Amino acid sequence: MDSVRSWLRRRIDSVRSEQRLRTDGGTASDAVQSETGTGLRRYLDSDAVESAPFWLPAFLLVGLFVYGAIVWNVVISLTDYEGLGDPEYGSFDLENYRLMLQETGSYSFTNAFVNTIVLLVAFTLVCLVFGLVVAILVDRDIRFENTFRTIYLLPMSLSFVVTAKMWLWMYSSNGGFVNRALGVVGIGPVNFIRNPDPNVQLAAIVFALVWQFSGYAMVVYLAGLRAIPDEHFEAARVDGASLVKMYWRVVIPQLRTATVSASVVLMVFGLKAFDFLRALYGNDTPAVGTDILPTYMVRVAFGDASRIAYGSAVAVVLFALAFSIVLPYLYSEYRRGAL
Amino acid sequence: MAELELDGLTKVFVEDDGNEIVAVDDIDVTVADGEFLVLVGPSGCGKSTTLRMIAGLESITAGELRLGGRRINERKPAERNTAMVFQSYALYPHMTVKQNMSFGLEESTDMPAAEIAETVIEAAEMMGIGDLLDRKPGELSGGQQQRVALGRAIVRDPEVFLMDEPLSNLDAKLRSKMRTELQRLQDDLGVTTIYVTHDQTEAMTMGDRIAVLDDGMLQQVGTPLECYHEPANRFVADFIGEPSMNFFEVEVQGDRLLADDFAYPLSNETLSTVGDRTELTLGIRPEDIELRTEATGPHDFETVVDVVEPTGDENNLYLTFDPDASEPDTFIATTGGMNRIEAGQPLVAHVPEDAIHLFDPDTGRAVKNRSLDDAETLGRAV
Repeated sequence: MDSVRSWLRRRIDSVRSEQRLRTDGGTASDAVQSETGTGLRRYLDSDAVESAPFWLPAFLLVGLFVYGAIVWNVVISLTDYEGLGDPEYGSFDLENYRLMLQETGSYSFTNAFVNTIVLLVAFTLVCLVFGLVVAILVDRDIRFENTFRTIYLLPMSLSFVVTAKMWLWMYSSNGGFVNRALGVVGIGPVNFIRNPDPNVQLAAIVFALVWQFSGYAMVVYLAGLRAIPDEHFEAARVDGASLVKMYWRVVIPQLRTATVSASVVLMVFGLKAFDFLRALYGNDTPAVGTDILPTYMVRVAFGDASRIAYGSAVAVVLFALAFSIVLPYLYSEYRRGAL
Repeated sequence: MAELELDGLTKVFVEDDGNEIVAVDDIDVTVADGEFLVLVGPSGCGKSTTLRMIAGLESITAGELRLGGRRINERKPAERNTAMVFQSYALYPHMTVKQNMSFGLEESTDMPAAEIAETVIEAAEMMGIGDLLDRKPGELSGGQQQRVALGRAIVRDPEVFLMDEPLSNLDAKLRSKMRTELQRLQDDLGVTTIYVTHDQTEAMTMGDRIAVLDDGMLQQVGTPLECYHEPANRFVADFIGEPSMNFFEVEVQGDRLLADDFAYPLSNETLSTVGDRTELTLGIRPEDIELRTEATGPHDFETVVDVVEPTGDENNLYLTFDPDASEPDTFIATTGGMNRIEAGQPLVAHVPEDAIHLFDPDTGRAVKNRSLDDAETLGRAV
């Protein structure tokens, strides 16, 4: 019995000494000591506190000027602030939001909202389709591939103001390139930018924006195409798929991720098209019916009536719109474990 | 089912600067109906290019490709009645196993959907993946993906299977299992198969015949044992067999071969095949070297063991003539795994004359191969 007990004791001792061993030979004693130190000591030594000088200033500045401003904007949208004196924070109501829904006509919120959605959807869709077609063409081992890629991507590096001014000339009914080209086939001249039909104006704007951003869609799709192994193309060929079928059934379904990320970025750009319209129409109020939410917001807030609180309410809607675009994307990325 | 003929098949790639690279140079092979031919060679030897030319994925620069006597050079890949298994399997990641396997039939035949579904299920059962039909490739293990890739080829019911290193992405255990399975499958289906690999073990164990390629040129076509025992040249001798054959550069002096460290006397019979050559390469397979404790004959050489590599069933011994050198030249001999041999131990290597190979050092061609009593049964080397 004794021998068993002593054997057990030896056994336990040897296990303990094994546990104490550090195979990497490191000195673990310091860490052990600080762990057993006071609560404050442990708090000051924590990663979050020690790294605070690096993240805290940016965190506070962003918190104040971005998220703080958003919250303040929401608060103002609940008041009747008209831009003179201090806003009155006494009585909050949803009057501004109710007004939005009531207004009708070509200068109304509803009109601007519909325009925004149409612009967003049309611009994004056309950009994606055009970008995909160009990406497929560029991907087919053409000569001067890099040159083409740069040429297609270049418009994106220009600012909205530059492209707007350029397209103003292009669209000019007084010898602009577009009208000259149309003149060759006997159409026009068409006044695109000041057309009485707001749909023509919107179409012209979408076309110009597509010109600027389809290069981006192309680059995203090109990266997606490059990520598909050559064997998939070859397997599809051996399987007997025609070129169109190969892209339709094998290649394009694999570009889902590229499509989602490109559309999110394009939609956000579409929402920000304010500068483009502003540059296109100068200081004038955009011609009848072509308001999108940002231009509408600026006009009601800083125009003749100076309805700051109402403008804030429009801004809240715009923010909600942007949020509703980005949030599902972030969530799906999170689900896929990419965040 | 049909016979596949490669008649002077050549592929020349033209680079952007006009440089021409001959990837495949004038290859003639006839693959009989139902035969399993393995194309083997080191990376860049042109074996994959050859396979891709047969599949129709690369154009043919010169020569003719015939299937069942009909020229198919110009046919599209889908019209060649071949099915290909890719190294990476090339399963479409967005489709289920069933969709992956149906795709080829949907695109290349008019088969009604119900019949396609039936064929797919049948092939899946045969490959043992019947319960995976609704999964996507990403949810399958490597071995299962491999089976799907094979199943996808089988449903097409092709005249020729083309396989491009299909086992190289599997781990060693699974690879040897799939090797057997593939062989059995090919045997059952009786479909002409061309199998590309860089692994000489796969070539030896799987093929009815193997075609050894190097630098775009066909070195030898023959049964695995032919290529092993009667290599057409030094390259084949070196490539086939693991561990590789030992080579010694020797000079012919009278009736002896003189190497740096030893002199090897030749019989009159061997001398007559050597003719008036003055320089030769002597080759001996590691397992043909017999180990003894005492040098008794003229073909016995005293050596020292430099390194021992035990593999369990046998030991690979690195023997050297000059044990004092810091990095001595060694040659390999294998011996049974139960023999206890240690580095530094002196050993006598007996190199039997009927097991030696002699090669022309300039052209590499075999001058004399080892003599085999049953050499006739190997058939004639091409």
